[in-house]
Amino acid sequence: MNQDILDFLRNTEIFSGLADDLLQTVAMSATSRALAAGETLIRKGDVADSLFIIKQGWLKIVTEDSKGDELILNKCGAGEVIGEMALLDSGLRSASAIALEGANVLELSRAIFMDVLDKNPKVAFAIIASHSERLRHNTFYIEKAIDWSLKTADGDYSFVESTQPLSADARANGDKAAELLAAFFTMVRKVKEREDGLKKQLEQLTFEIDQARRKQDFEEITSTEFYANLKEQAKTLRQKRNQS
Amino acid sequence: MSKGKIVSIHSFRGGTGKSNTTANLAAQVALTGKRVGVVDTDIQSPGIHVLFGLDETKMGKTLNDFLHDKATIREVGFPVGENTGDAEGRAQLTGKNLWLFPSSIRGREISQILKEGIDFNRLNEGLQSTISEFDLDYLFIDTHPGLNEETLLSIATSDILIIILRPDNQDLQGTSVTIDIARSLDVPHLLLMVNKALPKYDFAVIKAGIEAQFNAPVAGVLPLSFDLADNASNDLFSLKYPEHDWSKALRGVAEAILAAQ
Ligand SMILES: Nc1ncnc2c1ncn2[C@@H]1O[C@H](COP(=O)(O)OP(=O)(O)OP(=O)(O)O)[C@@H](O)[C@H]1O
Ligand SMILES: [Mg+2]
Repeated sequence: MNQDILDFLRNTEIFSGLADDLLQTVAMSATSRALAAGETLIRKGDVADSLFIIKQGWLKIVTEDSKGDELILNKCGAGEVIGEMALLDSGLRSASAIALEGANVLELSRAIFMDVLDKNPKVAFAIIASHSERLRHNTFYIEKAIDWSLKTADGDYSFVESTQPLSADARANGDKAAELLAAFFTMVRKVKEREDGLKKQLEQLTFEIDQARRKQDFEEITSTEFYANLKEQAKTLRQKRNQS
Repeated sequence: MSKGKIVSIHSFRGGTGKSNTTANLAAQVALTGKRVGVVDTDIQSPGIHVLFGLDETKMGKTLNDFLHDKATIREVGFPVGENTGDAEGRAQLTGKNLWLFPSSIRGREISQILKEGIDFNRLNEGLQSTISEFDLDYLFIDTHPGLNEETLLSIATSDILIIILRPDNQDLQGTSVTIDIARSLDVPHLLLMVNKALPKYDFAVIKAGIEAQFNAPVAGVLPLSFDLADNASNDLFSLKYPEHDWSKALRGVAEAILAAQ
């Protein structure tokens, strides 16, 4: 009955190194949950009691921006573990997780997870390693992003030319920090393009009236007898109006 | 002579939004309680009647009949406030003092008048008597694009001239000539209005750039909007969608008209 769960767990990153008996325990104590599209699995701020392993489908990890609008931090799919962070630190959920489509997850209680960690330091190391790697990575990217933001604010786009656009394999690796930076980079490039376009447009608006042609067109219209009459009539008309 | 003001709406190129702007401005001014008329002098290709819900079956006497002495101006005036129909925007004009003076949409009458040419004195007198007979505060004139003779006449008689342009070089070039003409004819109030501005541009910058170029006020910069293109053909957009950016900017232009003394 648990065979498929067992097979599935064996292929996830965190649990792949577990001995069979431990894997068996995990598989037996995990409960399956089906989520409908739009259903909230984890609510930000809630007390955390378990972690989830996504079996199938996609979830979005979201928080709110300063205006209260939803801000998507990440997208997670089959094989990924979510919610383990809160089990290790404050115990409160730091973000919400919402199903993007019909999805299936395995829920593992804090007790079992702690037990696994106790009995299998390798799992703990795997988690620590992945977290600190993520951290180191993020610090680098955050510093870059800060540097670029300050430059962009000053209108200094020199880094756009001197920086290699971040490679597509960052995306393929699911490296969210690198993706963020790539998105940031794209944004700056587009802002720069728009700014250049606007400058060009304004130059055209301001400077491209052909004054000689303007004069010629004006004279062509005003040199007719019709126009001379009209000007005379208009003058009379305005005088009359002003008198009344 | 009456104190009603003639407001001509003009553009160098066709399709710039004259008819939509004229109809919406007239409606906004009528909503404030003013007595308003709208004349379609685009005799070659009339179009504004559609915006007021008037079609061939409902159209009675026209400007063409008046120009041919076949009707009085009284007979030509179509009271929009009494014929608002069920269009959501126009319905707000119920009971307002707004008249439309349509041009004929019959091909034969159009070609006849183009062949004969217009009697300019007759048209001028017509405009003046329209104002006095209907005791109008404002008479809006929707014109044919470019600087043909009817258009020059309407510029010459106007108290307020609104030139609509798109923010591109071709329109700027053409507009420069119209501005020179308006100044040569001593039009008391000249207002520019930008329509179909791409939303990605900074409108304040467009406004400042054009004002500096022509030394004339830009009363509004109205965005290019698919909402308008989709919905404008048979109702008055600014009444139906008052919160839309296009409508807000248009009301700014209406305020500039009301402020001109
Ligand atoms: N700001 C805008 N955004 C999108 N479409 C617009 C805008 N203004 C006008 N239009 C559309 O452009 C077309 C032309 O508008 P309109 O008939 O008012 O112009 P016009 O200057 O009177 O044209 P003509 O010179 O043919 O008389 C219409 O289809 C109208 O819906
Ligand atoms: Mg028109």
